[in-house]
Amino acid sequence: MLRIEHLTKTYGEKKAVDDLSLHIQAGEIYGFIGHNGAGKTTTLKSVAGILQFDGGEILVDGKSVRTQPLECKKEIAYIPDNPDLYEYMTGIKYLNFIADIFGVSAQVRQERIRKYADLFELTADLAQPIAAYSHGMKQKLAIISAWLHDPKLIIMDEPFVGLDPKAAHILKGMMRELCDAGGAIFFSTHVLEVAEKLCDKVAIIKGGKLIRSGTMEEVKGDDSLEEVFLELEDESC
Amino acid sequence: MLKILVKKQLGEIFRSYTYDAKKNRARSKAATIGFFVFFVVLMVGVLGGLFTFLSLAMCGEMAQVGMDWLYFTIMTLLAAFLGIFGSVFNTYSSLYMAKDNDLLLSLPIPVRVIMAARLISVYLMGLMYSAVVYLPALIVYWAVVEMSAKTVLGGLLLLVLLSIFVLTLSCALGWVVAKISQKLKNKSFITVLVSLVFIGAYYFFYAKAQSLLAELLANAVYYGDSIRSAAYPLYLVGRVAVGDGAAMAIVTAAVLVLFGLVWYLIARSFLKLATSTGAVAKREYREKAVQLKSVDSALLGRELAHFTASANYMLNCGLGTLGLVIGAAALVWKGGTFLPMLEMVFDGRPGALSVLLCAGLCTLVSMNDMAAPSVSLEGKSLWLAQSLPVKTWQVLRAKLRMHLLLTAVPAALCGVCVAIVSPAAAAQTALALVVAALFTVLSALLGLFLGLKMPNLHWTSEITPIKQGGAVALAMLSGMVYAALLAGGFFLIGWRMGYMAFMAAFAAVTLAACVLLLRWIKTKGCAVFANL
Repeated sequence: MLRIEHLTKTYGEKKAVDDLSLHIQAGEIYGFIGHNGAGKTTTLKSVAGILQFDGGEILVDGKSVRTQPLECKKEIAYIPDNPDLYEYMTGIKYLNFIADIFGVSAQVRQERIRKYADLFELTADLAQPIAAYSHGMKQKLAIISAWLHDPKLIIMDEPFVGLDPKAAHILKGMMRELCDAGGAIFFSTHVLEVAEKLCDKVAIIKGGKLIRSGTMEEVKGDDSLEEVFLELEDESC
Repeated sequence: MLKILVKKQLGEIFRSYTYDAKKNRARSKAATIGFFVFFVVLMVGVLGGLFTFLSLAMCGEMAQVGMDWLYFTIMTLLAAFLGIFGSVFNTYSSLYMAKDNDLLLSLPIPVRVIMAARLISVYLMGLMYSAVVYLPALIVYWAVVEMSAKTVLGGLLLLVLLSIFVLTLSCALGWVVAKISQKLKNKSFITVLVSLVFIGAYYFFYAKAQSLLAELLANAVYYGDSIRSAAYPLYLVGRVAVGDGAAMAIVTAAVLVLFGLVWYLIARSFLKLATSTGAVAKREYREKAVQLKSVDSALLGRELAHFTASANYMLNCGLGTLGLVIGAAALVWKGGTFLPMLEMVFDGRPGALSVLLCAGLCTLVSMNDMAAPSVSLEGKSLWLAQSLPVKTWQVLRAKLRMHLLLTAVPAALCGVCVAIVSPAAAAQTALALVVAALFTVLSALLGLFLGLKMPNLHWTSEITPIKQGGAVALAMLSGMVYAALLAGGFFLIGWRMGYMAFMAAFAAVTLAACVLLLRWIKTKGCAVFANL
């Protein structure tokens, strides 16, 4: 579903991502962990087609993000670490805008909006301007909009930040449901317990370089993910 | 602490002068100085020059009949009006709506210091706007009438009092706007409506200014006596500048008391208003039938939604739409009698009337510059436009379409009215309308070009890119320069070339500029936007 080959991205002199390669299969929830400034957001933004990268290749379902960006973006949904949405729109206008961009039919979008807004208990607030939403409500709206066009691949940067426990539980269920239906999820998190329980595979990045990746068992063995992560951090220091 | 906060406020206002958002680094010293010099030239040279001429017309004659206080009263009122008009929404936005209110309130900074820092930036903006009217008036008075210790002291004291008064009224009105905003549902439209009433009143008096000025100068003593008996405080205000000690003491005390009252009022409610999320009744969502839109319509709808949701955006960048409709109505109402008379005035310059009508139309068109701040207004939500499956050109084209929709439609209406009432030959009028139509396209393209060249995505209040952005100022100025070149060029050399040749040349140059800008936007402009 997603192939990242030798991805390199620099900001001035600094290499934010250095020769990073990852393969994510359909049906996999892939966790991406690393300390602040490790290169997670840069990688995710590059996959989402927001950042132009300097070297390497990113393929979404066999299509190149570099040469076929629109085709790739049609298959992807991206949720950033901070849900800065169009505050001048109401929630429902925003969802309809996203659905229009992805060409979601009227019936399908209404069904999905009804389903996910009810799940997140956001239906009553859809007529409110986004400017009046709390951080958590914006995050819920961003999640609903990401699921609207039934994407094959969802890229999420710290998706659980700002969500209440119930909403976080619902999101985990949605992630698993999407992957069971043949989709894939690539997300970053600092909450290692969540990554350990939720992810099929995990990658650890430090200083822009991939330091370990594989199935959860391969990466952590008999230890906890937290112990392995801290150990790897220390080793590479 | 206060110094740091004021520095932050001013840094934000003039951020585009010191920081290159495109390259994500500070501008060179030379570039920063260049920007500031340009700004000063614009304020002092253009606006200051305008009020210097007005002062020269009034000062000598009024002083001769002992009405120099009335001269100062009028100029002070004008300065106060401009200062308040220029800062009331700025006060509201920067005092109550600033995005970093929560952040600053969470820091160990006393609320009064945050308020003071905000007010100092409002004060400086108000001072700038009012000084651009008042200082020329004062200097003209010193040069033409009297420059003594008492007039220097009084004149400068009045400048200080005027700026404090402007701050006081801006704050009071900003507070009223904030209070009303909490209760209103369609606040952006109501804000626009109220503002338009003010603007209407402004233009009404502006239109009457020439005759009012002549009437005032002819009967200065009569009006002076009337004002003195009916509105004594205004008399005292004027007397401050001519060095009357008692007037200085009374007006100073009155202004300070007023300011103290407003400070008290704001200090009591600042925290509540600044942290309010709005007490508007919650609208319940009811599912409705969905109207499907194409990608282009959805993107255009997004631009229009942003424009109509922001009173600041509409007021600062969309007044041309209203101006063109009013222009059309004025042409239908008075054009039939006024234009033939005007044509007779320029009898020796065939085509002059059509050129003037075209230049007028272009001036009104140039009052719309919504494309200019539209790139910066993407702000932190830029990631959406960059991550959605749409071409960058589609995003930029939606911005152009919004500008053209809101400008070309009323411009076309105005053009039709010109065609109906103009006594000029049909071919002449048609060519004038072609130039105006091309300029409408050019203004949209130029606005977007400037927006892409001078982006500022890191604002905390949207007033920054809308009102204080270099792109907006340059777009508006360029439009006016175009109209001036058109009219001035014709009267200097164009009439010798002949109307048709001059206008055809102008149309060709405008078209060429449009093509060049369009090509740049579609290629380099798209790359700039994608890499922001």
